Amino acid sequence: MSVSNHRKASNGHAPKASRPQKRRAAFYDLDGTLVDLNLVHAAVFTLANVGEWSGRVSYLLGFAARIPRLYVAEQRDRRLLNTVLFEAFKGVSRDRLFSLGEEYCDRILAAHLFPRAVELLEANRAAGIEPVLVTGSPDFIVAPLARHLGIADFAANRFVFSRGRATGRLAEPVMAGDEKAVWCSDYAAQHNIDLADCWGYADSHYDTAFLAALGHPVAVNPDRRLRAAALSRQWPVIHFEQAADSGQRDDFDSDQHLTDKDINHDSERSTRGSDGAA
Amino acid sequence: MARPEARLKELKTAELRHEVGARSDLVVKVNRRSERRIIPYGEEFLFEKLPVGTRVIYPPPPLDPLADPDQAIRYALLHPENQDPLFAQLSPNMRVTIAIDDISLPLPQMRRPDIRERLLNQVLQTLADYGVDDVHLVIATSLHRRMTEAEIRRVVGERAFKQYWPDRLYNFDAENRAELAMLGKTDHGEEVWLSRRAVESDLLIYLNINLVPMDGGHKSVAVGLAPYQSLRHHHNVGTLRDSHSYMDPTRSALHRSSDRMGKLIHESVNIFQIETAVNTRMYGGMMDFLHKNEDHFTDWDRTRLRGFQWTMRNMSNEMRRTVLHNYAAPYGMIGVWAGDTETVHQKALARVFQQYAVPVKGQADILIVGVPYICPYNVNSIMNPVLVQCTGLGYLFNMYRNKPLVREGGTMIICHPLRDEFHPEHHPSYIEFFHRCLAETTDAVELEKNFEREFARNPTYIHMYRYGNAYHGVHPFYMWYWGEPARQHVGRVIAAGCEQPEVAARLGWEAADTLDEAIAMATSELGRSAEITYLHLPPLVIADVE
Repeated sequence: MSVSNHRKASNGHAPKASRPQKRRAAFYDLDGTLVDLNLVHAAVFTLANVGEWSGRVSYLLGFAARIPRLYVAEQRDRRLLNTVLFEAFKGVSRDRLFSLGEEYCDRILAAHLFPRAVELLEANRAAGIEPVLVTGSPDFIVAPLARHLGIADFAANRFVFSRGRATGRLAEPVMAGDEKAVWCSDYAAQHNIDLADCWGYADSHYDTAFLAALGHPVAVNPDRRLRAAALSRQWPVIHFEQAADSGQRDDFDSDQHLTDKDINHDSERSTRGSDGAA
Repeated sequence: MARPEARLKELKTAELRHEVGARSDLVVKVNRRSERRIIPYGEEFLFEKLPVGTRVIYPPPPLDPLADPDQAIRYALLHPENQDPLFAQLSPNMRVTIAIDDISLPLPQMRRPDIRERLLNQVLQTLADYGVDDVHLVIATSLHRRMTEAEIRRVVGERAFKQYWPDRLYNFDAENRAELAMLGKTDHGEEVWLSRRAVESDLLIYLNINLVPMDGGHKSVAVGLAPYQSLRHHHNVGTLRDSHSYMDPTRSALHRSSDRMGKLIHESVNIFQIETAVNTRMYGGMMDFLHKNEDHFTDWDRTRLRGFQWTMRNMSNEMRRTVLHNYAAPYGMIGVWAGDTETVHQKALARVFQQYAVPVKGQADILIVGVPYICPYNVNSIMNPVLVQCTGLGYLFNMYRNKPLVREGGTMIICHPLRDEFHPEHHPSYIEFFHRCLAETTDAVELEKNFEREFARNPTYIHMYRYGNAYHGVHPFYMWYWGEPARQHVGRVIAAGCEQPEVAARLGWEAADTLDEAIAMATSELGRSAEITYLHLPPLVIADVE
């Protein structure tokens, strides 16, 4: 599976067998959902920074030659897009990719996270909804970002390497379209989670199946076709922006939202009326 | 200087001056020769024959508006009730907050200039004249959706918008802990929270519009600038069940609770309340036939009605909605008062009842109402099934004083197509409420116990409320509780003209294809001698049931 970091592996011990509290998860797509960048940007950054100048030019030219195929693939099938896109990485060393992934995350990706998206992710986590990344981006980029966000589990695309170098092929399953839904289903089964209690956030119509598999799908900055699907399926629609929203004052402290502690649920509140008369 | 409205006639029902049509009586019995009646039906209007003997209650015609509203506002600011004039309360270094009623009032939106713009212009000018520059304008949305930039601009007018937006003119945020302050508890244990800015101001000025008697008074500040922590003490099943009705503040536990909170707020906040009342002139020009008794329709009125029906039928849903929500009503201001909240509200209430109240003898076995395309919570949005329930059982059932229009155990017929349609950006939590919670139970107590807290604290809904334009996650619960007195009172609810019977079933209602079928279903149980009453809208009417 394209899971790089499962909770079970990360914390070193299996979850308790008879835990009474229901576990919930929120599955986030990455490109366009949590960050305002896309896969192509990450690919160009990586290819523009591999090896010496001659190598970079060669990789970028190879990438440029693929642009018509990428365009066609984007129109037809996200899996095909991923396959064509990652062919351009053939020959890049594993070490270099992971090192560039760290750099890309620190220098670019972290600065392009939607602030409100991170805020929502943290609010969900505070409410006991564990974040999980499910993205078609490559694992060498997603892993450092997951660490940055404190996310234990993620699903991302992985290269097949041969003798330490990328072959240009992706390991199955390729994280795109329906595969995301299948992965979520497997993940939920392994972690004893009911998908009906889970939230999903994505931006592309290619993620319709992924969102439909979850009990609480949310379209984030949806493209035209996902927006139409969201309208017809009655999914909530959220818009994240890089700049502060208009109409929201800058001095609002996003960490100052109300918590359950602020609400005294034990205080006088009766279905017999606030007068206490009836 | 006499009050500008002093020249208004002290009106009696039978003597009301009729601006639109001529009505000699506001309660009419249908006979064999009677014309069909206009009934609101979502984004359309039905024109239906009602059974002989049906009692039709018409709203009183609009009172004459004030000839010079600006002069009336000036007078109110200079001659407030039980308070010093506004200018006498000002000093240059003081902090002032102006809270403004949100887009839920009036319905439909009023023609420009909005009353709030008129009020703001004079209040802001007075503040400027006396050197007060620490002024914030807060839209008192409570848990309603944030108004958009364009909506705010339309309500407050260009002058205030250009000067204050966005740093000093903004929507209230009931989920920003830093923006809230707790003032204490009432003697009934109700926590009173309020906008911190309002609490820390030397003067809080509230600009209100009273469309119906439910509005205004202590409810303006205690609800409009309050978060969930406060609202849950009166927006709950028990309190609303004990409200008979929402339109009669003297018999409403909801109002008693907000009054208690308001009094506590008054102990620490200096409030200068400005209340206004508008007449019932909801439709004018080519649409004024909607105010008429159909028995007095001319050929021109019938032609306009048919033309309107044809146009609405032939538009796409989206276009029809856009056209209707862009319509602006020619409401006229019929009163403005300023000063002490309670005194001001009593005067406003008297004027509002003068406009709306119609004496009615006895209750009916069957009450027919038509739910229009708009309610306070779907301005520029979709009237979803939960809101249809709130409008039918919550608002229209409660349009009474003394006793409900329909007898206990009687039947309510609600005309609406009832489509499974929701606005995904304005009403996200409604969707889950309808499809998940109502699928489990329609019992308000169960819903409150099992789901309310989860929705109120849901991070996604809170996020959409704070940064998008969504109603708060808990709002659909309040809409459901709103219909609770009616659910406790009536025996049966039938949705007439229902296009999706499963939607009616989800609400716990029965479905009928047509109004005739609904009436037949009701009379099959209650008998052919059952008393039928049709509450004629638009505009609005409050029945004083003897």
